[in-house]
Amino acid sequence: MTKPLNVEHDSPSIAGHGATKSYAMQESMIVKWSLIAISLVFLALFLILPLVSIFVTALEKGWATYVASITDPDALAAIKLTLTVVLIVVPLNAIFGIVAAWAITKFSFKGKNVLITLIDLPFAVSPVIAGLVFILLFGAQGLFGEWLFQNDIKIVFALPGIVIATMFVTFPFVARELIPLMQMQGITEEEASISLGASGWKTFFLVTLPNIKWGLLYGLILCNARTIGEFGAVSVVSGHIRGMTNTMPLHIEILYNEYQFTAAFAVASLMSILAIITIIIKNFIEWKAKDE
Amino acid sequence: MELTLKKRKKNTIIPGFTMTLGYTMLYLSIIVLLPLSMVFFNTFSMSWSEFWQTIAHPRAVASYKLSFGTALAAGVINVIFGTIIAWVLVRYQFPGKRIVDGLVDLPFALPTAVAGIALATLYSPNGWVGQFFDFKIAFTPLGIIIALTFIGLPFVVRTVQPVLQNLGSEIEEASASLGATRLQTFAKVIIPELLPAIITGFSLAFARSLGEYGSVVFIAGNMPMKTEITPLIIMTKLEQYDYVGATAIATVMLVASFILLLLINIIQWYTNRKFSLQ
Amino acid sequence: MSIQIQNVSRAFGTFQALKDISIDIESGELIALLGPSGSGKTTLLRILAGLEGLDEGAILFDGQNITNVSPKERGVGFVFQHYALFRHMTVFDNVAYGLKVRPRKTRPSKDEINKKVRDLLALVKLDNFADRYPAQLSGGQRQRVALARALAVEPKVLLLDEPFGALDAKVRKELRRWLRKLHNEFHVTSIFVTHDQEEALDVANRIIVMNNGKIEQVGTPEEVYEHPNSPFVYDFLGNVNLFRGRLHKGKLTQGQFEIDVPTYLDSHYEVVGYVRPHDIQIEKNQLNNESVAAKIVHIHMVGPVVQIELKREDVDEYLEAEIPKEHYKKLGIKNGDTVFIKPKQLKVFVPEDFSI
Repeated sequence: MTKPLNVEHDSPSIAGHGATKSYAMQESMIVKWSLIAISLVFLALFLILPLVSIFVTALEKGWATYVASITDPDALAAIKLTLTVVLIVVPLNAIFGIVAAWAITKFSFKGKNVLITLIDLPFAVSPVIAGLVFILLFGAQGLFGEWLFQNDIKIVFALPGIVIATMFVTFPFVARELIPLMQMQGITEEEASISLGASGWKTFFLVTLPNIKWGLLYGLILCNARTIGEFGAVSVVSGHIRGMTNTMPLHIEILYNEYQFTAAFAVASLMSILAIITIIIKNFIEWKAKDE
Repeated sequence: MELTLKKRKKNTIIPGFTMTLGYTMLYLSIIVLLPLSMVFFNTFSMSWSEFWQTIAHPRAVASYKLSFGTALAAGVINVIFGTIIAWVLVRYQFPGKRIVDGLVDLPFALPTAVAGIALATLYSPNGWVGQFFDFKIAFTPLGIIIALTFIGLPFVVRTVQPVLQNLGSEIEEASASLGATRLQTFAKVIIPELLPAIITGFSLAFARSLGEYGSVVFIAGNMPMKTEITPLIIMTKLEQYDYVGATAIATVMLVASFILLLLINIIQWYTNRKFSLQ
Repeated sequence: MSIQIQNVSRAFGTFQALKDISIDIESGELIALLGPSGSGKTTLLRILAGLEGLDEGAILFDGQNITNVSPKERGVGFVFQHYALFRHMTVFDNVAYGLKVRPRKTRPSKDEINKKVRDLLALVKLDNFADRYPAQLSGGQRQRVALARALAVEPKVLLLDEPFGALDAKVRKELRRWLRKLHNEFHVTSIFVTHDQEEALDVANRIIVMNNGKIEQVGTPEEVYEHPNSPFVYDFLGNVNLFRGRLHKGKLTQGQFEIDVPTYLDSHYEVVGYVRPHDIQIEKNQLNNESVAAKIVHIHMVGPVVQIELKREDVDEYLEAEIPKEHYKKLGIKNGDTVFIKPKQLKVFVPEDFSI
């Protein structure tokens, strides 16, 4: 090399959208602020007000009642059950998501689009139906009902039923995030890694995983939020046995139907805090991923 | 079989094809396909007249109309306001914009039951919002529409937003330089560009609304023939151990969902094709 | 390391990417695989690296059949077209990768890896960039990281896929010179794929010209440029003027034009004579019936060679000629002048044998 190379000559430059706005793309101030106002009023009515009302109602009868509501044994049992479900469902669906995305994006085969559609299928199915199908499989009159009864295995109205119904509902979340991301990244980095002598596993952990970590985390967060909050499917298969098969959303439902509004909103406020944390992490991931 | 596998292997040096695809198919079959096929399997064990009587029962038909109608209304509301919100978030700067942007995801993150009790309380006749109206909102179809609007909003905003972001400024400038007013540019250039995204967002919100249960049951009032949505009919039949009836209604819903899914795919395929022609 | 490619074929579905390819490459050569896109050159390179399988044939490294040997055991360094740098790793980690992923038994110590990477970064003049990420580098710098990364595993063969394709003209020329220098120092057998004839002529010791999955010609840059053995090679390497005419008793005739071609004695109705622009002689006066009148349409005069576009007066065809500037000045011609041209060297191909 005789001459120094120009460092900047083709480094990527990101033009900020919206930052450079030409005259042709501007509306009058009245239009602009009316649109902003419409948006804010709409969001206030539909999103902010409900959120605020949850916390206000929860704390209506004072801090002591609030603490009592969320430390009630049934509430604690519901929190514990929900956490158990999360710890089983989220890792299993994450592994599935990674494996499926690897198969779909690193290889070419026939029927790939059909497979992607099938993975998306649970998004189009009502949660109530998601619960129903497992009753049809494992319920007393179900396909395996007789056999399960004889062998004394409980699936429906027990933890396994809640887990599997939640798995169905949250099935596509991780895969859906990873497939487009890995498709965009292509396979050359993996090829380079293997041609440099790395094994398949080393290639995955050293090259693929770091590249998809934000997408994976994003999928995990969404999967986690839905797992915690799933109501319809779990409602069908749980049997509502208080202290045994009640998840947090089901516990809220029971309290609400028994007119224990403060207690219901207290547990709801816990879940709302989780939701807000989810949104913050999600935004952090988006910001971090954009940064890289 | 062995030959095709061997040949496949030669196409790439990346390992794990058989293992990952095998695992994907197995897991998909156990968790999704086999359970879903139970609905159709059980339906076939019914006689046609039995099936028809269940799905064409006046109460069921009223629920289809209600579910479809409210989902449609909520979808339309979301298309209008969701597009405005996406526009505001992409094009304008205002204090608190980041928080508003994050807040749009709330319906994705907040458990549906939590949203349900909050909305029911707010819009009940003596609730914070309900008290200002001299007609009932909660426990009427209006309440259902509100719950479904809440659920569907992020679908529209989050599909329109990126498209709007990637919309080059050239086409708007070109339109303006050719003498169009801002409103004409918006109607003739921007909206057509956004239309595929809007339709996709609408379909996603609509599909989700058709099956939605958690946020609706609290605000709906669940009066048969009046405010009883289809998922609730399934739920009621299950509570009465009427598995056959529940399955029949589920079949109707599944078929409707699959048709919708197909439509979404066709729209996306059509849009991709349209753009790749350029 | 020497390489033998024996009767290699490869199809993708119905598309036959390689058709019965055989080449011998000697140890230490610097080879260019030259051809248009779709000619199969990249497929051949990927087969050599083990990134792609083959349907038939064999690959031998130093006489040993390595057709079924996995890429990591082939001892091949591969430089990808768009570099395929690991975007989440620093330049240092990218270069060290091939050493770090070795099994513990054969892995060098941390200090050894460190020293090796530093040496390589010095070699590619990127000592100060070790902690940067690929996104913070220019195209030329990325290219050199990719090269250092491939060299780190001490390959016996270096394979480069369109190594300069994504760079701008100036950087490309510098890297070309630099690659040749590197090859002279290391003497590692190197093969690079390119669709740029100038690049192939400039860098390689030997050029393999490929078209439609077949080898058209193998030879030194001089051989393939001066003595193309097919119309395709003639066309692909440099500009060429076509004289379509009749061949009879060692004469090619077209319009009023008659050229002696004593090496072609058989008769054909339709043949094509190929003449390089610099093999066209321009005179102000007619010498004999071997020259033909043409009008100067455009004179392009930048650098030591003057390019002249001409329109023949007997038939409706355009020609391109190149003459040294001094000769041009001596002639004293200008736009619109009528001159007489004559091919100094002409190669005849019969279209039945070659399709263009």
